[in-house]
Amino acid sequence: MNDGTTTRLTWLSSAAAAGMLLWISRTLLGLLVSYPIVLAIRASAMSNGPDGDAVLFQPGSLLLLELLRIGAPWLASALRVALLLALLCAISELVPLALALDLLRLPGRPLLERTRRALRVFPGFLALGAIALLVQAALLLAPSLLSAALKPALSSADERLRSLAPIVLIGLGLFACAGFGALLDIARATLLQREQRELPDRAGRGARAALAHALLCFRRQPFRVLASVYPSIAGGLLGFLCAAWLLLRQDPMMPTARALALAFGAHQLAVLFAIGWRVRWLAAALELSAEND
Amino acid sequence: MRRVTQDVLIGAVFSLLCALLSRALFFSTGAPPAPAAQPKAAEPAWPELAQSATKVASYEIEAKLDTEHHRIAGRETIHFVNRSSAALNELWFHLYLNAFKNDKTLFLRSPFGAGRSGDKAHEYGYVDVKKLTIVAGDGRDLWAERDRHSPDDPEDETDLRVPLPSPLEPGRTLDLELEFEDQLPELVERTGFVDNFHFMGQWFPKLARLLPSGAFAHFAFHAQSEFYADFGDYDVSLDVPRGFRVGATGSRVRESETPDRTRLSYHAENVHDFAWTAWDRFEARSERIAGTQVSVLYPPHQRQNAEAELASVRYALPHFNALYGAYPYPTLTLVHPPEAAANAGGMEYPTLITTGGPWYSTFGGTHVIDVVTTHELGHQWFYGLLASNEHSEPFLDEGFNSYAEAEALESRFGAGSVFGAFGLSVSSTALNRLFSAARGEDEKVNQGAAEFATFRSMGALVYSRTAIVLGTLARVYGSQRVNHALGVYTRKFRFQHPTTADFLGVMQSELDSQAVIALKQALTERGTVDYLVREISNAPISAAAGVFDGPSGREQKKPEAPRPAAEFASRVVVYRHGSLQFPVQIALGFEDGTKQLRHWDGSGFTFNVDNVGPSRLVSVNVDPEQRILLDDDRSNNWLSTGDSSAPLSRERALYAAQLLLGALGP
Repeated sequence: MNDGTTTRLTWLSSAAAAGMLLWISRTLLGLLVSYPIVLAIRASAMSNGPDGDAVLFQPGSLLLLELLRIGAPWLASALRVALLLALLCAISELVPLALALDLLRLPGRPLLERTRRALRVFPGFLALGAIALLVQAALLLAPSLLSAALKPALSSADERLRSLAPIVLIGLGLFACAGFGALLDIARATLLQREQRELPDRAGRGARAALAHALLCFRRQPFRVLASVYPSIAGGLLGFLCAAWLLLRQDPMMPTARALALAFGAHQLAVLFAIGWRVRWLAAALELSAEND
Repeated sequence: MRRVTQDVLIGAVFSLLCALLSRALFFSTGAPPAPAAQPKAAEPAWPELAQSATKVASYEIEAKLDTEHHRIAGRETIHFVNRSSAALNELWFHLYLNAFKNDKTLFLRSPFGAGRSGDKAHEYGYVDVKKLTIVAGDGRDLWAERDRHSPDDPEDETDLRVPLPSPLEPGRTLDLELEFEDQLPELVERTGFVDNFHFMGQWFPKLARLLPSGAFAHFAFHAQSEFYADFGDYDVSLDVPRGFRVGATGSRVRESETPDRTRLSYHAENVHDFAWTAWDRFEARSERIAGTQVSVLYPPHQRQNAEAELASVRYALPHFNALYGAYPYPTLTLVHPPEAAANAGGMEYPTLITTGGPWYSTFGGTHVIDVVTTHELGHQWFYGLLASNEHSEPFLDEGFNSYAEAEALESRFGAGSVFGAFGLSVSSTALNRLFSAARGEDEKVNQGAAEFATFRSMGALVYSRTAIVLGTLARVYGSQRVNHALGVYTRKFRFQHPTTADFLGVMQSELDSQAVIALKQALTERGTVDYLVREISNAPISAAAGVFDGPSGREQKKPEAPRPAAEFASRVVVYRHGSLQFPVQIALGFEDGTKQLRHWDGSGFTFNVDNVGPSRLVSVNVDPEQRILLDDDRSNNWLSTGDSSAPLSRERALYAAQLLLGALGP
């Protein structure tokens, strides 16, 4: 086995470990986020029958709508709690993300060392996340405002143009959000790499400097940044659509246990597929950051 | 560079696959599954179909549309026959265009926008009658002697009385001539204009319906109410600017053109209203379906919607013909209004219906076009041919028609009759039940349209609850039987004005008395029902112990030593809340996996389900096939001692949370 193959295998095993780490953390946090919703469904008594909650998924949705009618107050409260939990969990998930980046950057280090580093970069990751949230909110708000401003001008236009214009504008907003997300990942990678190198300059290890560096990477290699993140975004969407398409074809009369196994398998494969492509992009983000640093 | 090319290629392949999958998931045009067999038209014991109505008021109208000022200059001759048993001293005219005259009319003055669309008028509309004379009379203008406002309502001019100069004896005819001028409002509800689009419903002075007693069924135009009129023949000439395409009640019999105007003549027999539309941007499709010439007028770029509407008629017209008696008119016109005039959509007139929906309505798995088209088509029976009083008994047309619509859509599309995509299907019955259960006890179904507290309440009760009442009967007593009963009703009262009593009379002869009692209670007495169970009890059976005096003397039996019981006595009590009574099935499940089905005729308020057997009772499900759609609360119909951890919901919720975290977080 030559050195190239060994390096490749080491990288692959690190990538697999990073992927598994992200999947496990997302699954555990997902269980936490979804728990209030499950409790609300159980509280509605709609799953207390001999067929459990399979009745909610019957063709025609007679009992699913009954759940929405009877359980609306609980479900609304549960949804609010779940969204709050999702926000907290998204923040917590920054630690496994830092660990995953660390695994991709420096394979073979002790877990304790990685964990310490991940916790050290956490405030920076959090600051970057807050900036991203604000920027992405603005990027989504802008098309809505633009659509509203264009409404009078489009009032006499073809109705297809009238209904498609806001969709296209929101699509552009989402595209810009995805682009900014890519910058954010490069900034995170920069932050982690600078932490690993233990730069003496504290300002150089800060979130602002990392974001400035990410912008520099984008200015220098815009096409490479966008091309590298493209499979990750498209892969995530593809996994989601494939799972939906597959489950659409399942027999609605299938026994509950089989239906459950099939749905769980398809959904988790979709999540793993998306995470796999994301890990590949994170490795590219580390490369981009290192090359330009 | 190689890496960049590779990434772009991978991304492009993924994107292409995403596009294909999205198309399969979201942009399906909702191709229906193979439709169920159509019901047979010729069933034994159908009443003979009437060929014609008893005509009371026939109209000849000449109307000239000024599309610049949105005015209509009209001249009208009414051939009226007093078919009542009393001499008439007065006539009642409905001038419903006056509903849009100002904000104080009965229609517009509700502060809550009580109308179907909740719309207020932006540009007001009205009808001015210039003159009303008796043909071949002394030329006296009877209009000058009219009442100035609707009864007990000085602000409203939609229901006006005109005294006759001399009594009109039973059986005598009277020909009246009117000159009138309409100012159309900017579209309110169904009537008016939006730019060059014009829709004319309730646009001409029209006589109220003459009842057999000699009274007129007259009422001011209320925002929640629809209409009621006598059958007759209509001959209408419409004069519109050249280039305007027209759709109207009846058949076009003549057409002539001058350099700047087009004159079209329409003839309709055995109808009770006349509506029309004119627009210079309409496109048209026409096709012969089940012997009827069906035309669709639709806005530019909505060919796909027009095709979906024709497909709906292709299915529903023969379906309704078979169930409710053949559609008797040679033409049917469908009008799909432009998006800006969406409020004109979803309405019925004799031989003309309006549909609606944006250009993308056929995408994404929704059947909105099919729902609207099928519903409005159904009105050709429940309104058109069975011309009930929509003001005082609105459930007779809207309610029965909602049932007919759901039945036809579900027979065509199955469980996804309202929506079917992305693994989720929503049926018309599920949606009707949702609205019905949410407001079922608020008011009674059988009351006048104006008596409902709100239009939402009326919608839930008149449309959805009536459909659910009939749906429950169909599931409990057999859909074939209930559909047959409805078919007898529609045939027996074709070209008539049936009432609730007429309907219940037919049901009495076609269904069980228990079903008719439930029907009456559900429709007229706010009847409700809720079957429920509270607990499951199991007790091991052991040999009886104690002191027993028998023929051989006193015997003492000691309790058996504890050991696994060989038999269990199990009991579950099923309760019935509410006044409605339906027979119901009860499914029992035992620990050893065996199942039993018990039957309760619904009498009394409790029913003990007892069982002695080798296994404990672990689950009970009252009405497992969900036949009693009227059941107020389905969540208390079952109990199970087993796992209620909702595994499928847990899995879906986990996946949704993972997706949310993926979008929100790292």
